[in-house]
Amino acid sequence: MSERIYVFKRFERFWHWSQAGLIMFLMLTAFDIHGTYTIFGFEKAVAYHTIAAWSLIGLWVFAIFWHFTTGEWKQYIPTTEKVVAMANYYLFGIFRNAPHPFRLTQLRKHNPLQRLAYLAILICVGPLIWVTGVLYLFYDQWAAWGLGNLSLEWVANGHIAGAFMMLAFLIAHVYLTTAGHTPMAHIKAMITGWEEVD
Amino acid sequence: MKFTTQLAVGTALSLLASAALAYDADWKRGRVYYRSVCTSCHAVQPVGTINPSSKTKAEWAAYLKADKHAKGKDTVKQYVSKAYRASIKSGNKAAEKFATVPDQELLDDVAAFLTKGAKDGDAPASCN
Amino acid sequence: MKHALTRAALLLCSAGWLVTAGPVLAEETQPEPKPLKLTTTADHTKFKQLQKAFNSGPEVTKACLECHTEAAGQIHRTKHWKWEYLNPETKQTLGKKTIVNNFCISIASNYASCTACHVGYGWKDANFDFKSEENVDCLACHDTTGNYKKPPGFAGNPVVKDTEFPPGSGKIIKGVDLTKIAQKVGKSSRDTCGACHFNGGGGDGVKHGDMDSSLAAPTKDIDVHMDAEGLDFTCATCHKTSSHDVAGSRYTPTAKDAKGAHVRGKPDNGNPATCVACHGNGPHKKEARLNQHATKIACQTCHIPTYARGGIATKMTWDWSTAGQRDAEGKHITKKDAKGRTVYESRKGDFTLAENVKPEYAWFNGNVQYTLLADKIEKSEQRTQINKMGGSPTDGKSMIWPMKVFRGSQPYDPVNKTLITPHTAGNDDTGFWKNLDWDKAIPVGMKDSGAPYSGKFDFIKTEMSWPITHMVAAKDKALGCAECHSKQSRLAGIQGIYIPVRDNNKLLDTVGWAIVFLTLLGVFGHGALRIVTARRH
Repeated sequence: MSERIYVFKRFERFWHWSQAGLIMFLMLTAFDIHGTYTIFGFEKAVAYHTIAAWSLIGLWVFAIFWHFTTGEWKQYIPTTEKVVAMANYYLFGIFRNAPHPFRLTQLRKHNPLQRLAYLAILICVGPLIWVTGVLYLFYDQWAAWGLGNLSLEWVANGHIAGAFMMLAFLIAHVYLTTAGHTPMAHIKAMITGWEEVD
Repeated sequence: MKFTTQLAVGTALSLLASAALAYDADWKRGRVYYRSVCTSCHAVQPVGTINPSSKTKAEWAAYLKADKHAKGKDTVKQYVSKAYRASIKSGNKAAEKFATVPDQELLDDVAAFLTKGAKDGDAPASCN
Repeated sequence: MKHALTRAALLLCSAGWLVTAGPVLAEETQPEPKPLKLTTTADHTKFKQLQKAFNSGPEVTKACLECHTEAAGQIHRTKHWKWEYLNPETKQTLGKKTIVNNFCISIASNYASCTACHVGYGWKDANFDFKSEENVDCLACHDTTGNYKKPPGFAGNPVVKDTEFPPGSGKIIKGVDLTKIAQKVGKSSRDTCGACHFNGGGGDGVKHGDMDSSLAAPTKDIDVHMDAEGLDFTCATCHKTSSHDVAGSRYTPTAKDAKGAHVRGKPDNGNPATCVACHGNGPHKKEARLNQHATKIACQTCHIPTYARGGIATKMTWDWSTAGQRDAEGKHITKKDAKGRTVYESRKGDFTLAENVKPEYAWFNGNVQYTLLADKIEKSEQRTQINKMGGSPTDGKSMIWPMKVFRGSQPYDPVNKTLITPHTAGNDDTGFWKNLDWDKAIPVGMKDSGAPYSGKFDFIKTEMSWPITHMVAAKDKALGCAECHSKQSRLAGIQGIYIPVRDNNKLLDTVGWAIVFLTLLGVFGHGALRIVTARRH
């Protein structure tokens, strides 16, 4: 018998999907700016990328506020418990139709690997992109901010490195959403809020 | 004094003469008007180019005196008139800029440019 | 046109005043007011001094000086008169009198031809009297009729009577009416400045590329400021002149102007001819990022996308080494290209010409070091730089500037290792343009320059840079970002600066795409395995 758990609240779902949309648009414009392909062209791509970046920052302000007021931030505290079991599951168990080692609850909606991955994004890739991105935007203010010696090349390359990492994360993330107890289970949960649990 | 005389011959007879007597024609304004208004039609298409240097001073004077444009279908001075300028000024910067210049003055200016740029003028001019 | 507009406005105002003041006089019944000149306080036709026949330039000047007593003295202090300029930084003595270029090379021994563009009369040889007041040419700059001409070969004198020149050639130079011209003097104009500056290098548009006769009455596309139907700037609007000394210099250009827009009375108002002198240092109101660009990039770099835009080609190369060929009958040859432009002349050699040219770009700090006749040069693969443009990304004084780089091949002395100043113009036996004989032309020219000549000559490859600053396009025609921010960047050769996209790190891209690819591979492999194993169960 399966039961249904309400894991993703309304704001959380709104946050997730608008963030997903913005990040994908940022990716699209990013590699346009980078010269990988031309959709909007450098000039427009920069303008759109900037608007999307500010929108995402705005969204994050709300999300951070929400996480702290609801205590949901605790969902991202890393744990070593069952990390090995999770890794084993993804590497072997999943192919043998083994049971999922993690049983999610409202208080623990991310499995241990998810926690680690999201935390890594949150404290490594995120800051790398945001810090370099904001510096890039305010290139003309560096001297006024006392950052006159900063190298644009390093800032730019940091931003580009972050973009590649985000793209890799995005691919893995999208794939792993199909690794629920049915391929669509996680995705449905993120749309409706309800996840079916064995 | 030569070309002033010709101006009078070319233009004063056909229009009110009072202003022309005292007016000191500005060939540079004539140049701008000629190049952006006359030349806008008198290009290779649709009616063929006409450079100032395609006629002599006397020919220009006679042309302006006869005041026959398009083989007599209409007049030359009509194309320098305020009414004409008003009608094309939305698409022609020179017409807009010189919108309020008295007709006679502008005609004198164009005549001065043509006389100066004529085949036998002081500075034969072609338009490119 | 201004005076007509103002007159119309005056009429309207006075009519309005009459209406409110009392008895109404219909406008039509008033006698036509005499046109009032508003651009000047003096109608020169009324001056007794000018109501006479003039047979020479100096006669006109004497008349001018009766009222304008200080004018000649002011002119005497200027580059336009002296053709000599001491660069205070490099201590080099420059000016047309001494420099050597790679167009017509030098004025030495060619005075009567070259000084057609001197603001004086009678500079026919090295003994010209630079103290003479009556030999100052007022009309070259103050003619408004467009009829004043100083043909080459007359040492800067106008021709007042129809004259056959060169004698025996059957070509008649028409005399000009100095009285009419003198009575119509006025402010300088694009036409007067252009009479010489459009024709630098020996013809329309030849030398500069950003200055040619299309600027006499340009459209907005050619120059947004000089647009004859719009802003209608004259040269002097920017090259603001005081005491007859015209602002702006090619010997000591202002490469970076950080002083902001000029304000009346401000003590450190610098060169008034820079863009910044009007627009200030932060002119981009909508896109602040562009102001940051403008701390390293000269305005001209983006706002002059191409030069020679007015339909007149500029010379790009000039190879003197091929000059001197004759046809089977021993006559001079002229070759033209498909567009009818001269690409070979026996007198001058081979040329290439171009219109709508994308500039080359370089860091430039305003320091220009010339290769003068006394300087030693070495023939090598590297072109000899006629004028070396100083600049680097790190000196804090340089900006990225657009340049016309003019490349040529010109005679030099391989023994003394110097440039050569040949005698070219002149209707005499030794003039190269007449007899095509370097062995006659070079000793005469070098002697006039006071320089030693070994008797041997060869040709050396040279280049000369001309910062591009005219033919400013309308703002919607300025360069787009991708012109530089691309792999085919216009600034491909500019070192010392990181330009996003142009300078994408190849290693980072390789590693980045490898990570992305491996992730995709992992995901697809994992997914495939899941599908396969799911079927088995």
